[in-house]
Amino acid sequence: MRTFFRLAVIATGVAVGAIGAHAQQKEWKEIRIGTEGAYPPFNNLNARKELEGFEIDYMNALCDKMKVKCTWVVQDWDGIIPALLAGKYDVIVAGMNATDERKKRVDFTTVYTRTPIAVIAAKSVASADFSPAALKGKAIGTQGSTIHANYLEKYYKDSTIRLYPTQEEANLDLENGRLDYVVADKMSLDDFLNNKGKDCCKEVGLIERDPAIHGPGTAMAVRKEDTALRDMISKAIEESLKDGSFEKVRVKWFKFAIM
Amino acid sequence: MDYYLSLISFGPHGWGRPFLEGAFVTLSLAVATLPFGLTLGLAIALMQRSHRRFARGFATVYTTVFRGAPELLTLYIIYFGLSLGVQSALKSLGFSTQFDMPPFLAGMIALGLVLAAFSSEVWVGALNAIPRGQREAAAALGLHRAQAFRLIVFPQIMRIALPGLGNNWMVLLKETSLVSVITLPDIMFYAMRANVVTKEPFLMFGVASLIYLAFSIISAVGFGVLEARSNRGHAMHGAAR
Repeated sequence: MRTFFRLAVIATGVAVGAIGAHAQQKEWKEIRIGTEGAYPPFNNLNARKELEGFEIDYMNALCDKMKVKCTWVVQDWDGIIPALLAGKYDVIVAGMNATDERKKRVDFTTVYTRTPIAVIAAKSVASADFSPAALKGKAIGTQGSTIHANYLEKYYKDSTIRLYPTQEEANLDLENGRLDYVVADKMSLDDFLNNKGKDCCKEVGLIERDPAIHGPGTAMAVRKEDTALRDMISKAIEESLKDGSFEKVRVKWFKFAIM
Repeated sequence: MDYYLSLISFGPHGWGRPFLEGAFVTLSLAVATLPFGLTLGLAIALMQRSHRRFARGFATVYTTVFRGAPELLTLYIIYFGLSLGVQSALKSLGFSTQFDMPPFLAGMIALGLVLAAFSSEVWVGALNAIPRGQREAAAALGLHRAQAFRLIVFPQIMRIALPGLGNNWMVLLKETSLVSVITLPDIMFYAMRANVVTKEPFLMFGVASLIYLAFSIISAVGFGVLEARSNRGHAMHGAAR
């Protein structure tokens, strides 16, 4: 193992030298932003390999407001927090809910969206009752490592919970009939119901937010030591909610209020 | 049909270009990993057969660990763990520098370590196939051990190891599909994003698997040629033509 360790140290030493150590600034002039790029209409990569979506436009507007240079990094959802902690970027803007569980590892800015949570099912499902008792023995799916996964695991113990790497895959399995229900953000599910899922599926109802699990809403995550960055972004978010710049971006992407 | 073709075309809404670039990342990562992994694998194999107990022990632990651990975990440890470790080490030494592990290098190291573990078994098998007498004869001729290895042993084990290494290469090609978790935009990275945007999972993942299939077929043909070349002058069983 020692040889390996030595090799690793040499390799990383080379890497440090190659990249050139950029010292940690006290004053933030440049921010590297991590996003998933696979969560329309919030953030996704298009065929021209450009990021687009509400969060992309909104964050770029905040960057202008803060007068900082922003660069984007596309990171899979799995590993999006480890990559922040490892210093691959400085802030996560990826529709992430500010849950207590996540607060143990990262700090969150002010909340910038609060999305309704919807339950969808096949069109053939007649009952609008999606209580844990009614869904006993049913297969419910959602994206893993999300608030929805935590919610299902807490309240729907008698149902079969299936977790997927992306929300798209859960939706696909609902369409295939492998799942009876899918739970996720209403906006992301609306996107599915208006396109691919037009013929198969419908909304059954909305889940009331449980603050203990769902948290206060969607916020941006920073490393715990970067309090200055957190406060700077929080201030910009609050301003944007007051001066109409948030609404300007919102109407471009959503027909209804998201805050 | 035209609609589907336009989705994978090179036009403004087609994902042809991203897929092409993804294929390039996949291929270049695999090609860059290969020499590193195979060389390390050979070194591990030589340690496995060493007279020194420490070397043998190290080789056994190494192959056990890296064949046993899931590749994804190895990838995480190298990309995130090593970054964090070096960063906190630098910090404790009083340096306020930000260390950043480049994803390509991390992918190369992680996949190379795993490839080394698997290929070392192929190398050991090939080394065992060379009779001891050959080394003794080489020594009798006054060849140094390193010379004997380079001139006598290595050309022969290459021939024997080639089919097994070809297998390792195929596995490596497919394992690269994990690297999108460390931000490397490979084939799977774009397939997933294309699926999310177009809502056409079968088309997009189908294209991805066709690209992998094409790589596999080309590799199989390539290895066939190499094997035929290295078997020149060797009578093959059942090949009485």
